[in-house]
Amino acid sequence: MPGFTLPFVDHLWRVRGAVPIDPSLAPAEAFARLAPLLETPGTTFSAEGEALTYAKHNPAAQDKLATFTRGRLWIERVGAGAVLRFDLFSHALLLCCLAPLLFLGFAQMAVAINAWEAAGTDAAQKTEKKADEKPKPVKKLNPVDEFLGAPAPEDPSKKKDKKKDEGRHSPDEGYFMAGLFALIYGVGRWLEPFLLRRRLRALLAGAAPVASA
Amino acid sequence: MAGVQVGKRIIGAEAPVIVGWENIGKVQGRPIKQFVFTWFQPAMLLAAIAFWYYAPNWLAVASTAIAIRLGWTVLLLVLEWINPRYESWQLTWKEFATDAFYVGMGMTFIGMVDSYIGDGAIIKAVQGAFDWDKFSWFTGLPLLVQAVLISMIFDFGQYWMHRAMHNWYPLWLTHAPHHYITQLNINKGAVGNPVELFLIGLGIGGLFDFLPRAFLLAGAIGMTVAVYQHINVRFNTPRWWRFIFNTVEHHSVHHSQDYEATRSNYGGTWIIWDRIFGTCVDGEAEVLGMEGGRRMDIGETMVFPFREGWRSAKATLARRVGGRSAGAAPQLEPAE
Repeated sequence: MPGFTLPFVDHLWRVRGAVPIDPSLAPAEAFARLAPLLETPGTTFSAEGEALTYAKHNPAAQDKLATFTRGRLWIERVGAGAVLRFDLFSHALLLCCLAPLLFLGFAQMAVAINAWEAAGTDAAQKTEKKADEKPKPVKKLNPVDEFLGAPAPEDPSKKKDKKKDEGRHSPDEGYFMAGLFALIYGVGRWLEPFLLRRRLRALLAGAAPVASA
Repeated sequence: MAGVQVGKRIIGAEAPVIVGWENIGKVQGRPIKQFVFTWFQPAMLLAAIAFWYYAPNWLAVASTAIAIRLGWTVLLLVLEWINPRYESWQLTWKEFATDAFYVGMGMTFIGMVDSYIGDGAIIKAVQGAFDWDKFSWFTGLPLLVQAVLISMIFDFGQYWMHRAMHNWYPLWLTHAPHHYITQLNINKGAVGNPVELFLIGLGIGGLFDFLPRAFLLAGAIGMTVAVYQHINVRFNTPRWWRFIFNTVEHHSVHHSQDYEATRSNYGGTWIIWDRIFGTCVDGEAEVLGMEGGRRMDIGETMVFPFREGWRSAKATLARRVGGRSAGAAPQLEPAE
């Protein structure tokens, strides 16, 4: 693809590969068989000779090529055989690769706000006596619940103030989402090229468009 | 399309909507599969209630609820895989990743903002103004009654907030991105502009002094009822269930491409609110979304209310200041 390229690093969001193709298949016929992937809403494509380029603008959820938003496919003849090579770019893979950073950022924001608020609270507590801490009454269960055996509510005055040390926000959700997106990225980087190859092979093998490919 | 008359309205004149329980799809396959997908929902509701009712105090805490929620989501994703309602709603890697982003935003950023200006903070601020001890008799009610009250009070608020979003243009702008989803999946409830997600999360349940266990029980009802509104699973939902509770059938009608159909089924958990207030349409739909099913990406979802609000304000201003000719810009329909 022309334009900006980064060796190695761009493997994170670009997928390159090849699938075998019947050498007797004319380029026009081969590309016509890929129509189910390209003749979809938001897709523009052009074929010139043995190469095809396409771009998808916000493809539909069920678009079979939705993950790869633009790319180039071309036929390469090697001896008596031929392959269809592809070089595709994915916004989705790129964003999933960056998403852990965003959520780590939120986690760090939670830590920073907690620290900032704790500093403010300490200063306020020095001047303020614990005047408003009247003991809360112990609540009782309804007799129906006592009969059915539900555990009685805890005495609220026995509760430790653990929360105060932990702060208002927890960074755990941010860490969890960062980990989840690392996993989603890993799965996608393997799964989506796998599905792509499978769909290309299925489409190129049969003349009739494969609706469920 | 002719559509079907429901009350005074014609449903399904603009896009396909199935109206009436007798016309919706059924679980196909072996008797055991039919049995499982008929009784799964009531069985899980009962199990969740029994767990939160009897769990010892050390276990009946919010972190347990979060852990269960995670495992529950994975289970429901597996069900979507095994028995999808529609093949056209099948979850793809990209859709899952997109949904996960919105779920993550809800768990992190929106949660943080909520803690300052959400319902909890508002209630704390106004609590000093009234004698709230008058409500303390609630805690003497049986736990399940408290839980149902919490759930119904919260959902009553959601019903009216949601209905307002479909009827008042400024609120509609915040809600519109959620209606650009073109398929329903278990995490689609989280998809939308953060302003809307904040607004729809506002509730007044915190005003009342319920027992903590009652809140957990109410959460369990939400987790095993409201969660199904965005699920891509074919269930043979029992008649009594779909009379009382919101279902994916109801919610798919709400998300259909038919304008009149979208102005129905506003409840989150209790469809009974829609029955009481005359907005319930029993049925289901497969073809969902806005603008003929255009998918809205994350970037547009984030800016949509502000961009459209700005455009509308500018057009209105131009019309008032510049006369009639400036008002030609098409405006989004203030609902759906």
